[in-house]
Amino acid sequence: MHNGGADDIAKLIEPGRVHRRVYTDPDIFELEMERIFGRAWLFVGHTSQVPQACDFVTTELGRQPVIMTRHRDGSVHVLINRCTHRGAKVVNERKGHSPRLTCCYHGWTFDTDGRLVTVPVPEGCAADFDKSAFGLARAPRVGEYRGFVFASLSPKGPSFEDHIGPMKRNIDDLVDRAPDGTLALDAGMHRYVYAGNWKLQVENVLDSYHVPFGHASTVNKQGQQFARREGDRKGATVVEADKKQTAASWKDRKSYITGNGHGWTSNTTLDEGKRSSPAYDAYKQALAAKVGAARAAEILTPRLHNSLIYPNMSIMGLNIHVRVIKPVAVDRTEVTIYPIRLVGAPDAMNSGNIRLLNVTHSASSFVQTDDLESFVRAQKGLRSLGTDWVDISRGLGDEEPDRELNATRALATHEMVVRAQYKAWTGYMREAA
Amino acid sequence: MDAPRSGAPPAVGGAPGIDRAPFEQFLIHEARLLDERRFRDWMALFAEDGTYWVPAVPDQASPLDQASLFYDDRDLMRTRVERLEHPRIHVQTPPSRTAHLVGNVVVDEADEAKGEYLVGSTVIMVESRDETQRVFAGRQRHRLRRAGASFLIVQKRVDLINCDAAFEAMAVPI
Repeated sequence: MHNGGADDIAKLIEPGRVHRRVYTDPDIFELEMERIFGRAWLFVGHTSQVPQACDFVTTELGRQPVIMTRHRDGSVHVLINRCTHRGAKVVNERKGHSPRLTCCYHGWTFDTDGRLVTVPVPEGCAADFDKSAFGLARAPRVGEYRGFVFASLSPKGPSFEDHIGPMKRNIDDLVDRAPDGTLALDAGMHRYVYAGNWKLQVENVLDSYHVPFGHASTVNKQGQQFARREGDRKGATVVEADKKQTAASWKDRKSYITGNGHGWTSNTTLDEGKRSSPAYDAYKQALAAKVGAARAAEILTPRLHNSLIYPNMSIMGLNIHVRVIKPVAVDRTEVTIYPIRLVGAPDAMNSGNIRLLNVTHSASSFVQTDDLESFVRAQKGLRSLGTDWVDISRGLGDEEPDRELNATRALATHEMVVRAQYKAWTGYMREAA
Repeated sequence: MDAPRSGAPPAVGGAPGIDRAPFEQFLIHEARLLDERRFRDWMALFAEDGTYWVPAVPDQASPLDQASLFYDDRDLMRTRVERLEHPRIHVQTPPSRTAHLVGNVVVDEADEAKGEYLVGSTVIMVESRDETQRVFAGRQRHRLRRAGASFLIVQKRVDLINCDAAFEAMAVPI
């Protein structure tokens, strides 16, 4: 990659395959940081992480360190975590509470809306020094939907509504499960890293093809995965026990795309009638008490497994969590997984969800670790010069419209979702920022 | 110069009158089972109501309202061990080799009447797998219950010094 012109980018992506350089070329990675992470709507965090005025959390948007704050007037701000004086990172904690954000180097002090409040030894400043011009830089555009905060690091581009709008129902699907109608991302986080490109994780979240083989170690002799939800006695059937083949019910799963690189997979077939435990039953009652039994039953009918809000986050509807993908280098990626607390649900229900997430998506889990091994081996293999192309052609041409959902549908073991991600990728990448 | 000391020397911790040798021996045995990948034997050291907990933040108060690296009861432990024995556990192909070192053992609390003890120690585990070697280190707290001539683990808690870091995949217990 020499100049990143539209023609160079176009040569990397073909209808059913992509060039291995999109995973291995550091120059392409730099272009991605500028053209995708430098302007796409990125998930920052959830307002429940900063419930009180002067609360803050720090995170990264791609490689950009940011602070999400709650100001005294209740507004939420996404500020660039870099002192406007000599460039030091201002806030070094993952989360905290402080009415002032003070840089450790010379003591420049900022308000929680980013305004520069104090400069030590002010008589040394230039005569025309204007404090109002030295506030912390901020994400040019910020949008929020039901507590989910997104930001774009570019002042221009598709609106928040244009980008996130089609995925609002996927957010609703999760938030509506909280009896009080709101979520809390206040149960800590899982963090893992792997020696591989960020897109390996993005492509994986909607990939139903890999599950029966990639996660074979989580499947028992009856072909079932371990239970992943509070109240379930067993998990999904992914393999036909007698045939050692992918189960028919697994092959029926669908995936959907809706433009912008977004997509989702349909629910795993589980026996909802048998889902029961003291915690789950109490939760069901609490939800029904708030929204009525009919609506509660509708909310609790699983429709979604995983949803990808391209390019940096996914929402899991099965064992609920939010996942954020942070590219570090062309061959290094960090991922944060937030357990979700359903506000208004009994503590035992939320505890059950938190505990099961430990064994599905932590760095030491039963599920995620085999994915990480696949990502690391993919990155190693893609360095080889043997073959230049990565095949993503499964089900090419078999996509069909789903008019009811205003989406395009395919079997979830096909690779339509990956092709859709590369369509969005190409859209960002071919235009200079 | 320091002032001359008067009275008793400062307490150095540990339950008075308790011989730490059998506890130390127990912890060494446990570490050896893990290093020899005898995961079923390791699991058998836990009481039926036993738990294995590796918090994800320093001083974590509870495993019930916060994410943890590990918080296994016997059921989850069994699933974990079955997976470790599964021929297609990709993240253990090749398997990890580990060396545990357990030291600084102190019996912090002892209730001889009930046969219940809290034993603190320091653990270092070096893990080698597939070209990569890494080190885990932290403080362990074993809540033990006397069972005949030995003990059962009621809770093993390992507070890694880097518990809140982003980790590459971890497949074997510490």
